[in-house]
Amino acid sequence: MNASHPLPVNYENFREAIRDFLSEELTPQLTRAGELTTSVFSDFEAGRHWQRILHAKGWGAPEWPLEYGGTGWDIQQCYIFLEECRLANAPNPVMMGIQMLGPMLMHFGTEAQKVDFLPGIISGEDVWCQGYSEPGSGSDLASLKTTADREGEEYVVNGTKIWTSMAHYSNWIFCLVRTDKTVKPQAGISFLLMDMATPGITVTPFSSLDGEIEQCQVFFEDVRVPAANLLGEENQGWTVAKYLLEFERGGQHFTIDLKKQLRKLKDRVSSVSNAASDDPTFSFRVAETEIDVLALEQTELRIKGSLSSGENPGALSSLVKVSGTELGQRCAELLVEAAGQRAMPWQSDVLSPTYAGPTAAPAECVTTMAEYINSRATTIYGGTAEIQRGIIAKHVLGL
Amino acid sequence: MTEDQTLLQDAAERYLRENYDFNKRRENITQGIYRDPEQWQAFADMGWLALPYPESLGGLEMGSRELAILAELCGRYLVTEPLIDSLAITSKVIAASDQAPDLVPAIAAGEIVPIACIDEMAGSRSVAPATRLERVESGWRLKGEKPWVSAGASATHFVVLASGADGLAWVVVASDAEGVQSDHFATHDGRGGTNCRFDIAINDAEILLTGRLAQLALEAYRELAMALSSAETLGASQAALDTTVDYTKQRVQFGQPLASFQALQHRMANMLIQIELTRSLVYAACNAADNDSADRARYARAAKVKASRVGREVTQEAIQLHGGIATTDEYIVGHFFKRITALESWVCSRGEALQEFMALDG
Repeated sequence: MNASHPLPVNYENFREAIRDFLSEELTPQLTRAGELTTSVFSDFEAGRHWQRILHAKGWGAPEWPLEYGGTGWDIQQCYIFLEECRLANAPNPVMMGIQMLGPMLMHFGTEAQKVDFLPGIISGEDVWCQGYSEPGSGSDLASLKTTADREGEEYVVNGTKIWTSMAHYSNWIFCLVRTDKTVKPQAGISFLLMDMATPGITVTPFSSLDGEIEQCQVFFEDVRVPAANLLGEENQGWTVAKYLLEFERGGQHFTIDLKKQLRKLKDRVSSVSNAASDDPTFSFRVAETEIDVLALEQTELRIKGSLSSGENPGALSSLVKVSGTELGQRCAELLVEAAGQRAMPWQSDVLSPTYAGPTAAPAECVTTMAEYINSRATTIYGGTAEIQRGIIAKHVLGL
Repeated sequence: MTEDQTLLQDAAERYLRENYDFNKRRENITQGIYRDPEQWQAFADMGWLALPYPESLGGLEMGSRELAILAELCGRYLVTEPLIDSLAITSKVIAASDQAPDLVPAIAAGEIVPIACIDEMAGSRSVAPATRLERVESGWRLKGEKPWVSAGASATHFVVLASGADGLAWVVVASDAEGVQSDHFATHDGRGGTNCRFDIAINDAEILLTGRLAQLALEAYRELAMALSSAETLGASQAALDTTVDYTKQRVQFGQPLASFQALQHRMANMLIQIELTRSLVYAACNAADNDSADRARYARAAKVKASRVGREVTQEAIQLHGGIATTDEYIVGHFFKRITALESWVCSRGEALQEFMALDG
């Protein structure tokens, strides 16, 4: 599909082409959804709409290989695309299918599975959620208890998953389930793909601290799943999941958003009407933070360099995850501090892109508190900061 | 790294590992030998003292990135010889002067060791030094005081920043000349510092740069000094972490190696994270300087701020994670801590760098 949209290789021309596309296709309502994004998820409908537009252009999953509908762009082009999308306030589509499941299907899937699932992922027609954590299994994921018992050509699944982001919008879920209780925990796990419409699956959404609903608990009661929906071999699920975790950690570009936050912080420093303008220490703290962001940006570039030359950045991605999320938290904290009481008003629906009523908070502070609240989750999901430090200690320092 | 950079790094690392012994260093310091003549000659023979100068002056035309390789190794091996000190002042001040053809080859050969004298008692760091270069009947006279000159005891020549008739002036004088009073003192980072007092006749040949050229040379010197002190801090921090990791793997308490305790593992992981972030910024600062990019001033200052903060945190942690042994003089890790502390305020402090960074930001 993308072959019909050849792009110049010159990076500046490439960037121009992306900008032209964005300014043409991003409607005010879509950019509004982008501006109002306070976590990794934008307004669901806006994100889905945007994914359809990207897909029609042939850019539904830029990083995927050409044969599966990717673009064939190099690492730098993919980065420029992402950067321009973020700077233009494009909304985020739900990315679990594209970023996580897609690469797994390509690596471990049967031909039939690839044909069945990849087109729906890239088009945005299918929305996938990730069923990993359970109420009793967070960082110690391998202790998970949801079971899948083989009965003929089916698995019968029982148990529950939690922190299943966007499950209430999803029509598919990829899950880690226990298929053997007699072996050591990691060796008895399998990777199953389930249609959310299957009888026995119920979804209970719950509110996050900011009052928004992104998170769900999913319950499975005698859910019958075709054995053909097993990804990889039975009991090979941990291997599949580890590959997946690498995708979740690697290739993240924190500095694009951090620089957007810094720009806001500098606006606060130079504007008269906020708590920061009365505090002489504030601009020093912003400058210290900016220097840390520069250091992270250069580290991301180093990783990109080693990826480009075919090396495995390994535990450097843990380093980037820890620093990127902690710096994001620091920026969010400074923004709340600058806003002071202006960030405190809470209104339901105010973060919906279709909301047109009056806002209790000043326009520039509407998302501030929600961003701060949601930033606390960033060092918890995708492998906690403690797990990442453990990885660094073990794999880099050899402790 | 380029192939040439890898070669330089490997050769320099091998030399220092095999020939720069920590215990010999301690012995030298005790005897007041801060620049071992044999070491200095070896540095010259390996081409280190000729690294950054143009070929026309007998130099190797290498950039900040290559100097940073040496600076990092100076940090790791706690080199007390004033290597980055003399490279920085030579490449940015002496090499920019008309006297370069006379002085630079002798410096590269190790015969002349120049050390910069900038700071003054009043703290009026460089804007308007109270040290003056005055016109007198017979020529010129340099009058003033320069205290706390790091590695001053290792100098054969001082390169003095003074106020002249048309702004700043750089003047070079032999350290043993009559009219130069040098009071040496030992420093906590294993060097010999000097309080200098100048009241000396100066001829035209001793005035290196004046006016706008002197100002530009000062800025270039400070910027290079920021990058190189950051690189040396980086090297010392990495060495402090490596030492800590090795030690905690061996030291057994409560029946198990200290390294097996998660509370300590995470602290060492933090040290590594901060060191790698610093490394990215130090190399970016060097590359920005070598490419003469528009960001070069910002990156040099960012590197200085980051390296100062991280160097302090990492070496303090290194001492804490070792325990009592690290507080002894015969154990290496406390020496990284001391050297980093000295580097923090050498030429430019962390606070100055931060303020300059903010001013550049516009």
